[in-house]
This record gives sequence, structure tokens and C-alpha cells, in this order.
Amino acid sequence: MGRPTLKSTFTAFLYLLPALLIITVFTIYPIIKSLLISFYNDYDFFQDIVYERGIDSYIYLWNDPNFHLALKNTFIFVIGVVPCSIILSLLIAILLNTNIKLRALFRTVYFIPFVTSVVAVSIVWRWIFHTEYGVLNYFLGLFGVDPIAWLTDPKWAMPSLIILSIWKGLGYNIIIFLAGLQNINDQYYLAAKIDGASAIKRFFFITVPLLSPTTFFVSVVSIIGSFKVFDEIYALFGGQPGPASSALTVVYYIFEKFYGEWNFGVASAAAYCLFIIIFILTLIQLYIGKRKVTY
Amino acid sequence: MIRDALSKATIYITLSLGGVLMLLPFIWMLLTSFKAGNEVMIMPPVWFPEKFHFENYKEAWEMAPFGRYLFNSITVTVLSTIGELITTILAAYAFSKMNFWGRDVLFAILLGTMMVPGEVLLIPNFVLLSDLGWIDQYEALIIPWTASVFAIFLLRQFFLSVPKDLSYAAKIDGCSDFRFLWTIMVPLAKPALFTIALLKAIGSWNAFLWPLIVTSSKEMRTLPVGLTAFSTEAGTVYELLMAASTMIILPMIILYIILQKYIIQGIAKAGIKG
Amino acid sequence: MKKWSSILISILFVLLLAACNSSSSTEEKEEKQQETKETTGKVQEPVEIEFWHAMSGNLETALTKITDDFNSQNDSINVKLVNQGGYGDLSQKIMAAAKANTLPTISQAYEDWTTEYIQNNLVADLTPYINDKENGFTEEELNDIVDVFRDANMWDGKYYSMPFNKSTRILFYNKGLLEEANVEPPTTWDELEAAAKKLTGSKDGKNIVGMGFENGVGHELPAWVKQAGGEFIDEKEGKVLFNSPEGIEALSFINSMIQDGTARLAGEDGYMSGPFTRGDVAMYIGSSAGISYVAKDAEGNIEWSAAPIPKGKEAANAFMGTNINIFQSATDEQKTAAWEYIKFLINTENTTYWAKETGYLPVRYSALESEDWKKYIEEVPVYGVGQQQLDSGFFDPRMVGAYGIKNAINKEVELVLLGQKTVEQGLADAEKAAQAELDKVK
Repeated sequence: MGRPTLKSTFTAFLYLLPALLIITVFTIYPIIKSLLISFYNDYDFFQDIVYERGIDSYIYLWNDPNFHLALKNTFIFVIGVVPCSIILSLLIAILLNTNIKLRALFRTVYFIPFVTSVVAVSIVWRWIFHTEYGVLNYFLGLFGVDPIAWLTDPKWAMPSLIILSIWKGLGYNIIIFLAGLQNINDQYYLAAKIDGASAIKRFFFITVPLLSPTTFFVSVVSIIGSFKVFDEIYALFGGQPGPASSALTVVYYIFEKFYGEWNFGVASAAAYCLFIIIFILTLIQLYIGKRKVTY
Repeated sequence: MIRDALSKATIYITLSLGGVLMLLPFIWMLLTSFKAGNEVMIMPPVWFPEKFHFENYKEAWEMAPFGRYLFNSITVTVLSTIGELITTILAAYAFSKMNFWGRDVLFAILLGTMMVPGEVLLIPNFVLLSDLGWIDQYEALIIPWTASVFAIFLLRQFFLSVPKDLSYAAKIDGCSDFRFLWTIMVPLAKPALFTIALLKAIGSWNAFLWPLIVTSSKEMRTLPVGLTAFSTEAGTVYELLMAASTMIILPMIILYIILQKYIIQGIAKAGIKG
Repeated sequence: MKKWSSILISILFVLLLAACNSSSSTEEKEEKQQETKETTGKVQEPVEIEFWHAMSGNLETALTKITDDFNSQNDSINVKLVNQGGYGDLSQKIMAAAKANTLPTISQAYEDWTTEYIQNNLVADLTPYINDKENGFTEEELNDIVDVFRDANMWDGKYYSMPFNKSTRILFYNKGLLEEANVEPPTTWDELEAAAKKLTGSKDGKNIVGMGFENGVGHELPAWVKQAGGEFIDEKEGKVLFNSPEGIEALSFINSMIQDGTARLAGEDGYMSGPFTRGDVAMYIGSSAGISYVAKDAEGNIEWSAAPIPKGKEAANAFMGTNINIFQSATDEQKTAAWEYIKFLINTENTTYWAKETGYLPVRYSALESEDWKKYIEEVPVYGVGQQQLDSGFFDPRMVGAYGIKNAINKEVELVLLGQKTVEQGLADAEKAAQAELDKVK
């Protein structure tokens, strides 16, 4: 490639131009614009006149119990979804990676929820979760469990959302894990087998360490994705953040402030708080990843 | 041998159980879409309709302009996917095979944008689009989505894995950068490109919030937006709702089944080494 | 280390870019606005106006029919209907369009939306159109509009909208279940409570709940508080008043029924019409605009009818539904054309047709008294229930920030009904939240 020169820079920018143009105009500029808006204290949104700038929006967030609730719910959601989804998908990927028939069929089946529209599937999930006529309560009823108000009891709204999200996202993680598993050289397993290592030992001493870059990638992507959850909530609870705001997440909070109250300052400030949280978490992960991940 | 057979059986049973759980909502959706109205909200649930009511599909199709929605969804999906592939190929090539000033900083900025929740961008983008006069036009549904940092990242990783010798050899043969990219790199990167295209198509087909906001007339709606409108109209007529949902979900499942082998390859080669 | 510095640099870069961008965009805006002001057209030329609405199903069909009639009678005016989904979508689209200068000519709007539009100078004052000698309303025509509907469109002595689809809450009941339990449709709170208790139980392995409320029952609080003899809010002083003994009585009344299982919320069914027409709920209070939906779903399932809302200490019934306003951004010809259309839409004949097709109320006395309508409600008595409540009618608070206030109250009421808070605690918190919203916009 050689050292950068004026000519190489020019050529490179020609290649980058289409992508950069689109990304600058529709991603970077709005990000900045939102940041600026988060410092508007008094803003006439229609005339686009800013009367006063300051940090009122951030103070508002600091004191707003709803925002605290949204933060709490978001963390619960992430903690509920990410580890569960990673463990399940790893397990399934390992099973799929064994020498079995119908592997392609199983792989397809697990990936299908990922390719389907949240809006469409949540309509059927709303019905599955229905207290009286839902299939889920019907099955639980066969085991003597009393009907659970999945979507209308504040205690159960979050678990319902977590179930839907895990179901929806499992396939993607499985595919990545499968890819990671296939990158592991069979020779290691063969050698270990000859040495008489049990399946469990082989899992912990070969699969886990050699798969760590994949696990790392999956966890970063899942955490970021889970922090941004929105569509599922909107569709599952019919345009409400769950009963008694029990599924109010940060993005939902932003949405409400934006489109419900047209409170741009607060919405943008909340969006930036979310951004900072994700940013810090990613840095921590990168740091841990550097130290723990065996490449 | 018995132990082996036993563990095989366990694997099959576990995978099948999991698979059934994965598919159950779809099976339920599909079966319900053929039911008569009085077979829907009853306890205990009835799995199979007494008679398959194919006319549910016709009725749902006629209750809303699904033909138009379908046309819009296809147009938007196809065009934004093609657009993204072009911008991505060019950008990924620059980031992987060229050395230029500010490359790493620029790449870091782009990666940074991936962490920003998309909802943050909606309003400034909406205003921008209306200044451009694109609201309720195909432009608004397509153009902002013709470039993706994630796709560039994915393809860059793939390009990086292509041995340098190859490009030296090509250069010596007098092959220009541009020709080299399209005649050698792109065909090599087919699995990665299929992955990108498929992920894009899925995202575009299923996108909800954005089309809801930038379209105002019925003629411009895409399928998911049309479906939500339909779900308020159809109310509790679940058999029709399920028929409509099935119509929306099916094309993506078919597309995935046709192209699935490329996804696995693509992600395997590009997704994880970064 | 190198990575961190590059990230820092990039952030700085991004900030710099921002500073440059923001200043230029405002200038462009101003230019644009001036351009639109300069354009003037001629009245004779064909005008197209857009009408954004949130009517679907039967409602949309009826609206389309009236509009088609109008278009065929007026060569130079073409009204284009645009369905924007639900009311929430409509409100969001309007706000977004206002920002983007892509507003339609006319739209449906609740009163509190209009308050906000007036504040931001988005809607045209309709008073000059009403007073116009040639094309306006005569005194008689204006007073023909039902008082409670007409007054809801007046702000500081000026009309900013005209009533279109007006509804009220009524009590739907399942005839079969009531007859079986030997219960008459309740007319007072006490009767309602007793009836709910009597109707709750299981029948043929099916659980039946006596009474049902819609999910947003918190939004109905103004009516309940008034029925208990209390006051909800002082709009002039900007003070909430519902945290009173009457308020507590009202919320306790609903809450006790929910807690002992003789009443339920629509919950995951979205609207009560679902469980009601399945026969899961014997009675419910809901919007008269739902009549056509209930009628459709009930077919072959249940026999049903409707009655006025039971009285508390007083009778008080909120009248809801939207009005139509004309946006300031439209050209003068468009505004004139829009006024013609509005007049047509709510003339005696059309408001009667509209009511017959949808379950909304006719907005004119002349329509309510017309032979056509009288005959109709004789045939289909449920359509006549709403108007019996006109004497006790009022309209919901519509001050700036009403959206935030209503949401805050609804959230607290929801918490109470879900058993997360006591009635007293919930009302106190609702008062605090609502007052904070009110003070914010002062």
C-alpha cells in the first residue's frame, strides 16, 4: 500500500465519496444536531429559534423519576436478555456443530425469527401471551400453573418482553457462533480425544478459549442492540411502554419525549445519556476483551 | 456405541424441541390464518381449522391496498440494497486496500456512529428530508439507507483477509485499482456481499418507524406500516390479521432459505475476525 | 493510547462541524418562508386541498362518500383525503409537517392540540370566515351547532375549528346476560356496583366479569370526578383540583370494583369491544364511536344494547372527538375552499348521514331534530343514547400542556388500578405530576 500521499488520499476519497456523503448527511449531521438540541433550554421548534441555551435538559433528566425508571428497566432488560441469549445460542450452536443429519434444516429453523418483521410477529405473540386465550397460559395450565397476566401485570411485562427478544435474536447469535466454531481446527479436538479428555473438558479447555473472540463479538453486538430496544415494546404492548410503564426503556422514553411531547431538548439529552452509557460499556468490554480474549 | 447413539438422540431431541419452540408462533400464525372466525378466540385452543378458509387471504388482501404496499416494499428493498452494495464496495476497498491521510480517524468516527441509537437521528433527518422536498417520496425511503457503517466494516474485514500478493500481482499485470476491485475483489467477496445484501434486505423489508414517519399517503406505505394500519382497522379479527402477517413474513423466509449458505460463509469469513 | 486520542480528535471534529452547520440552516428557513408569503393566486383557478384524518373502516368509507359528493358538486375544488393512521400518528405527523412546512390545508384535531397550534401560530382564525356575509354562517346557522361542541372550538372569543366527529361515553350492555341475571341496566353508581357484582361469575366454564373499562380510564377521570360532585381543574388559574374527597371517592369507586374482580380493564385486548362481543364482559363504558365496531363484532355472538352513563351525585359526561381546523400555511384560496368544504361536511344533511354511518353524534340541533334522524334512532336505539347526555355535557381540559397532564394522570391511575399504589397516594402523585406539567408551560 505504501505511505499516504496527496494522490492516494485523493483517490481514496473518490472511492469513499458516495458512502461518506450519505453517512455524513443522514447520520453524522443528525447526531451533531441532536447534541446541539440537547443544550437548548428554550426552543421554538416551529420557527427554529433558540431563545436560551444551557443544561436544563440534563438537570431535568437528573430529577425525572421516569428517566430513572427507564434506565433501570433498560439495565434489567439487557441483563435479562444478553447472558441468556448467549448461553442458549452457544449451546445450540455446539449441538448444531456436531455431526448430525438435518443440520441445515435446524439452522434454518432457528434463524427464521430473525428475518421476520417485529410488527408482524408481535401480533401473534400478543395473542400467545393473552391471559385468557393465550397458548402459553394454556400449556402452563396443563401443568397446573394459574393463568399469568403476561402483558398486563407489571411484574410480568418485562419477562414477556425478554422472552420475545431472546426468541427473535437467537438465530443471529447462533449463526455467528457456528461460524466461530467452524473456525476452530478439528485437530485440537482430535488431539484432546486421543489424550482421553472428556467432552466437558474439551468444551471448557478448547471450545471456550478458542471461541472467545466470537463470544466477545456477540456480546458487544447484543449489548448494544439490547440497549436500543424499541420496536418490540411498541408492537408487543400496542404503542404503550407496558402496564404502569414497566417496560419503559430509554429509547422508549426518548420516543415519548420526541413524538409525544415534542420536547426536543430532553429527548436529545436522554439520547446522549444512552449514547454515553453504551460508549462506556463498549470501552470496558474492549478493555476486558484485550486482556481475556485469546486470539 | 450405545453411549454414542444415546447422546445423538439427546442432541436430536434437544434441537427438535428448541426448533419447535422457534417455529410455534409461525405455525400458530399460519394455522390461524385459515380458521373461521369462531375458531379463533376459544379455550382450549383449536390447532387445526375444521375447514381451510383460503378466502381469509383474499379478504385481507381486499381490505387494504396490500398490492400497493407490496410494490413499495419491493421497490424500496431492492433499490436500497443495490445502493448500499455499491457504496459499501467502494468504501470498504478504500479502507482496506488504500493508505491515505486521516484513514484511521475517519474509520474511528464511522465506527463511533454505530453506537448511536437510530431514534436519535429521526427528527433532524425528517426536517432535512422535508427541506429537500422528499417527504412522502421514494427518495426518503431509500436514499438515507444506501450506506451503512456496519456493512462497510464487514466488507473491510473481508477485503483485509484477501492476500496482498493478489493485488501486487494484479498491479504488475497493469490492472487499475478500479478494475481490480470489480473483477477480482468483488467476485471473491461474494459470500460477504450476499450477507450484507440479505441483512440489508431484511432490515429494509421489516423497517417500521422510519417509513411510518416519512410517508403520509396510503400510496407510499410499506407492508409493516400498512399492517399496523390494518390491525387497527381489522381490530380483533385475528384470522385476517394472521393472514396479512403471513403474507409479510413469507417473502423474507423464502429469500433466506434460498440464500442461506452464503450467510454462513460470509459471517464466518468476515464477521468475527475483527 | 493512540486510539483514545483519535477518538477525541474525531469528537472535536464533529463538534466543529456542528457549529458551522446550525447557523446556515436558519437563514435558509427564513428565505423559504418569505417565498411562500409572496405567492398569491386567483380564486377561480382549480384548488386542491388535502385533508389529513384518522378515520378508518366504516368511518373512512362514510367520509369518502361525503367528500366525493363535495368534489363532484364543486368543479374548482378538489379535496384529497389522506388517512394518517390513528390519532397518535396524526398528531405526530402534523407536528412533524409543521416543522417541515408540509402541512395539509385541513386536519382533524382535538381541542388540546388546537391550543398548542394556536400558541405556535399554526392555525387560521375561522371567525372571519364565519362572519363573512356571503359565505359565512348566519347567527341562526352558528347557533344551530350544539352548544357544547361549538364552545369547545372557541379560544378567547375566536373560533379556530369546527366540530366534526363528536362522541361521548355510553354504557354498553349484554342483553342476554343481564336478563339471565335479572338485572336492569344501572342508572346510578350504586346500581352499577351491584349489577357488576351480580353479573360476575362463571357460566359454562367461562369466566364472566360484570363490568369493563377501557385501558385509558385515567383519561376519563374528569368525568368521574365531576360525577362525584368535584372539580377537576381550574383552567384559568392553572391549578389542578382533583385531589379532593370527591376525587378520592371517584377513583375508589372504580378501583374497588377492579380489585374485587367485578370489573376489568380492556388490558391486552386493546379495546373493550373485543371481550364484550365475545361475551366475556357483561357491561362496559366506552365511546359511542365504537358502536359500529361493536355491532360488527357482535353479529352472531351476543345480543346487546346501550344506555346512558350511570349518575353519581351529579350527571356529567365528557364529549370527545375531534374538530377540523385550517392551517395558516395554506394559501388564501385553499383556505376559502377549505371553509366551503367544512360547511358542507357539517351541514344538516351530511352530519346526519355521518352520524348514521358511524355512531358519532350529529353536531347540529337541526340534524338531531330532523325526521330522518328521529326515525333512525327509533330503529336503532343505541344511536340515540349519546344525545340524551347532551344536557350534562362538558369538554375535557384543553390548556397548553394538556397532553402531558393527561398522560401523567393516566399513569398514576394505572398504577392505582394495578394495585401498585393506594388511591390516596396515586391521586396525590398525579396532582403533583399534573401541577408540575402545568407550571412548566406557564
